[in-house]
Amino acid sequence: MKLIKIKAQLLLAILGVGMALCFAAPLKARAATLTDQDVVSGISGPKTDDIAAKGDPGADLTGTVNDVTMADSKKGLTLADLANQAGQNKIAINFVWTLVTGFLVMFMQAGFAILETGLIRAKNANHTMMMNFMVYGLGLFAYYVCGFAIQMGGCAPIANLGGTYSLNHEHVLNLFGKPWGLFGTKGFFLHGATYDVGVMVLFLFQMVFMDTTTTIVTGGCAERWKYSAFCVSTIGLGAVIYPLFGNWAWGGGWLSQLGANFGLGHGYCDFAGSGVVHAVGGITACAVAMMLGPRIGKFNRDGSPNAIPGHDIVLVLLGCFILAFGWFGFNPGSTLGASGNGCLRIGSIAVNTMLAGCTGSFGALLYMWMRYGKPDASMAGNGLLAGLVAITAPSGFVDPLGAAIIGWIAGILVCLSVEFFDRVPKIDDPVGAISVHGVNGLWGVLSVGLFADGRSDYGGSWNGVNGSVKGLFYGDAGQLVAQLVGISTLVGVIFTLSFVWNWIVDVFVGQRCNPKAELAGLDIPEMGALCYPDFQLKTHDYVAAGSSEASSASVLK
Amino acid sequence: MRLLGIIMVMAGWAITVSGLFISSHNLGRAIIACVGIGVSVIGILGVLNSYYLARAIWKK
Repeated sequence: MKLIKIKAQLLLAILGVGMALCFAAPLKARAATLTDQDVVSGISGPKTDDIAAKGDPGADLTGTVNDVTMADSKKGLTLADLANQAGQNKIAINFVWTLVTGFLVMFMQAGFAILETGLIRAKNANHTMMMNFMVYGLGLFAYYVCGFAIQMGGCAPIANLGGTYSLNHEHVLNLFGKPWGLFGTKGFFLHGATYDVGVMVLFLFQMVFMDTTTTIVTGGCAERWKYSAFCVSTIGLGAVIYPLFGNWAWGGGWLSQLGANFGLGHGYCDFAGSGVVHAVGGITACAVAMMLGPRIGKFNRDGSPNAIPGHDIVLVLLGCFILAFGWFGFNPGSTLGASGNGCLRIGSIAVNTMLAGCTGSFGALLYMWMRYGKPDASMAGNGLLAGLVAITAPSGFVDPLGAAIIGWIAGILVCLSVEFFDRVPKIDDPVGAISVHGVNGLWGVLSVGLFADGRSDYGGSWNGVNGSVKGLFYGDAGQLVAQLVGISTLVGVIFTLSFVWNWIVDVFVGQRCNPKAELAGLDIPEMGALCYPDFQLKTHDYVAAGSSEASSASVLK
Repeated sequence: MRLLGIIMVMAGWAITVSGLFISSHNLGRAIIACVGIGVSVIGILGVLNSYYLARAIWKK
């Protein structure tokens, strides 16, 4: 009987302690919670009369609780008002950041335009400038009509831009038990639910990236591309070819899901577009330049190449500087925000960008100096761009030392590549677009799989895989395989799409301009006006001795 | 010739993707991917480019 009494007392004591804990916890939590009443009574801003009388030279009275928007002024300031204001401030910071960096990328068009024009002969300057000018209009329109929808129409919600929830449908093919995201289907003409502030910011940023791709092709095909063919070719690139790869890499497509579906690291990772933007542009330039054939006078009959120098090195190097400036929009802007989800890495991304450009130009300068005895200006400029192209994909995933090494290798690689394309496949590339953007774009994609240091954290996961991106040197061989699959897709699928599209253009429009027009310079025959009407232009220059005069004559016949 | 080149370029990509199913090891997949890239590059520079090179303007 006594034992039962003790057990009952013990049970009551346990129940008592349990109940006390149950009640105490909510009481404690309640005491720590801020209520609307606390907000209304506890916070007050500076008197507006004081500010009106004294001004605010010390910036102590501007930007206070007075500036928080109240949903209901009769009710006064509430906790919901403060929370909404905090959320809107975060998104506002991200909107402004993304838009301003997008504007910087847009200005890169000016850099590309004068860089390419400086690298070609004066007799084609109007033609080259007009190609670079119209990629903006043609590309933008194509991207607005369908390119954006194909690329981003099914992308996952982008938290940094407030969700972009209306871009919610990806066309997925189920093959071999795996989902293969192929293209998005929301956002054609930006109508319906995609008329949304977050979607507009995303559209602007993605559009200027696409424009960069289209402008790369004009450089590789300069001085012999028929203007009408250029127009049709650019529309196809901006409307379908670029957006497809953009979807696979950035829009939630199959390449980005290689990690989730096949256990390959975090899937194909391309932070700002070494592959999506530059390699697509460079590979398309290769397809079209190959189809066009070399400029008259570029090769002698024995196949040896002739150098055809550009007409204005000032334009070339100024263009490089403008591009380097714009790249601070390209890479740091690809966080799509400056607040939340690890976006404060924008500082390290900007430094990586700067370092790789610097070591790229240095590497190219040294290579040319040692090999040819002179520090070549145009190749130093191309080295800078090569470094910037290469760091574009890894900029968000590598440390500064990795960035410097990537840029250095890119600087040397661009020199080797230019020599290779001139001497072995004999593909004439007047500005080095294939080497700068194509080859180094692929190198940038590969370098993610080698140098990503596993210390970036953009919201705890990337491409749906938890943790941060690590390359082979930091212990994840699967990431390298994912990058190789991306390279193979660029070289295999994107080249084929570009080639077939431009083959169709060649059949129906004709890609190459008239040889007579080419020898005379394309400004008058194609554009109807000279770029430099007051200058004496050389029209039959760089035609190699012995063979090429005869060659030109035979072409004219 | 051009069709053969295009088929080779696409075949290179098909080899790479098939490697994802053929092998479950990263090394095996990486080797197959490199073979695929090589086949595509040969298709571009060796087949397609040869076709256009044979008709190059400086050879006329």
